[in-house]
Amino acid sequence: MILAGVRGIYLREILILRRKLIKTLMAAAISPALFLLAFGYGVGRGTQISGVDYLAFLLPGLLTMSSMNQAYSIATEINISRFYFKVFEEYLLAPIQRWEIIIGETCYGITKGLIPVLIIGLYSLLTGVTLSFGPLFLVALLLHLTIFALLGFIAAMIVKSHSDQATINAFLITPMMFLSGTFFPVEQMPMAIRAVASIFPLTYSTQLIRAALTPGAEVNLALLGTLTVIAMVLFLIAKQIVARVEL
Amino acid sequence: MSCADALSCNNRRCEIEVSSLSRSFGNTVAVDDISFNVGRGELFAFLGPNGAGKTTTINMLIGLLIPDSGEVRYHGQQFDPKQLAVKRLIGVVPQHNNLDRELTAAENLLIHGRLFGMSGKQLHQRIDTCLAFADLTAKRDTPTAKLSGGMKRKLVIARALLHQPEILFLDEPTVGLDPHSRRKMWAFLRRINKEQKCTVFLTTHYIEEAEALADRVLIIDQARVIAEGSPQQLKQSAGNVVLDIYRDDDICNEFFADRPAALQRLEQLDTSVRIRETTLEDVFLQLTGKRLEP
Repeated sequence: MILAGVRGIYLREILILRRKLIKTLMAAAISPALFLLAFGYGVGRGTQISGVDYLAFLLPGLLTMSSMNQAYSIATEINISRFYFKVFEEYLLAPIQRWEIIIGETCYGITKGLIPVLIIGLYSLLTGVTLSFGPLFLVALLLHLTIFALLGFIAAMIVKSHSDQATINAFLITPMMFLSGTFFPVEQMPMAIRAVASIFPLTYSTQLIRAALTPGAEVNLALLGTLTVIAMVLFLIAKQIVARVEL
Repeated sequence: MSCADALSCNNRRCEIEVSSLSRSFGNTVAVDDISFNVGRGELFAFLGPNGAGKTTTINMLIGLLIPDSGEVRYHGQQFDPKQLAVKRLIGVVPQHNNLDRELTAAENLLIHGRLFGMSGKQLHQRIDTCLAFADLTAKRDTPTAKLSGGMKRKLVIARALLHQPEILFLDEPTVGLDPHSRRKMWAFLRRINKEQKCTVFLTTHYIEEAEALADRVLIIDQARVIAEGSPQQLKQSAGNVVLDIYRDDDICNEFFADRPAALQRLEQLDTSVRIRETTLEDVFLQLTGKRLEP
């Protein structure tokens, strides 16, 4: 069977996701709702950014951030499967290529990352903000989710324990959430923060996805190239790491 | 040593040849220059205390750990975990019951089958056969989190057999099982060896398990192989009959080739003495000066 590893791993992840779908949906809905209340209605009510209402600015940012969190969350799941339940051994023992594990898990990360799109879509209806879900958005979202699923996979492969995983989240994911333009434009930040933001992939995907979702906004298509290069580099890194993984 | 050398594999065709295998973790030598062969269809036990290097060895044989030096050959071909065909020959039952708890017994087998490239009717028939072989047909749709310890263990074994491997590796197959389940597991392992015609390679730290099951035993202690042979040969090498001589709160053992020799010695002793047949425990004690903790 062609790509038996990719399909087998994806099937396993989807069967498990199906069992905990309600819980996953609820968890994915809560955090953007709280950010929406705190920032959208609490802090940013009545303000405008780059000529649009703050809510219309915030919702695409929340979509990008939440889908990043979901795609990246495969890191914790792989971590538990590797160090606690040891199911990951089944993948290492199967007659499949190691890169098939990367693709299978990345596809799962992408699938999980689609959940917030539904949720933010619903919130946009509730808040009366118009978002344009077109083909450019889909391509940008796919690249964005691929990047963060790969990042999650790499993190799960290089850590040696659960606590290492928490450290990576604290130093990488949390700063990215707040400094990559989700809640306010990166251009408003001091020079040093802008320099930090420029190394975060979320800065680029937020910019592209926000432009694609905002009706009439100007889109910088070069960002598609940037995201493609980042995804390719991450895949090559993941391939190197997974080839050497023991247990 | 080649497969042509019949004696090297206990008069059987060689399935696995291991030569000078070593592996360290930092400064700790886990496996130190060990060599042995396993013959086709053998039930082979790797006996030693916890921490002796059994799991590290098994993990090198199945490709989960890369040896620092030495080599492993399957059917005379050097083992490279990147060559997928060899992985199809191998079924693995790890020490830990690594099942997906949220999935049912049948789903756990389904995923394994898919990973091994199986699909459709053939896969579903194999799932039915393996569940029946492990007496788990009634638990087919039960989430594995709800199975008993013995059932989980059997399911892990059924999963390892799903793709019809030629060699089944089991790392401490009966750890955590009560004595009754342990004996049932032994019978199950013998059936796998005889009915499925599987070469069985198991690690254990239970003397009686190696004695009851194995055609051949390899004893490992502190990362090195210290003895090898059938349980009978090992006991013979120590002496078939042993005298437990009780002296001042201590017991010392004396070994004899046969009962008349032991009885002759017995007549010279004026203390409490017990005469009995040698066990593998005695062999281990004689070789290492210590007992294997149960």
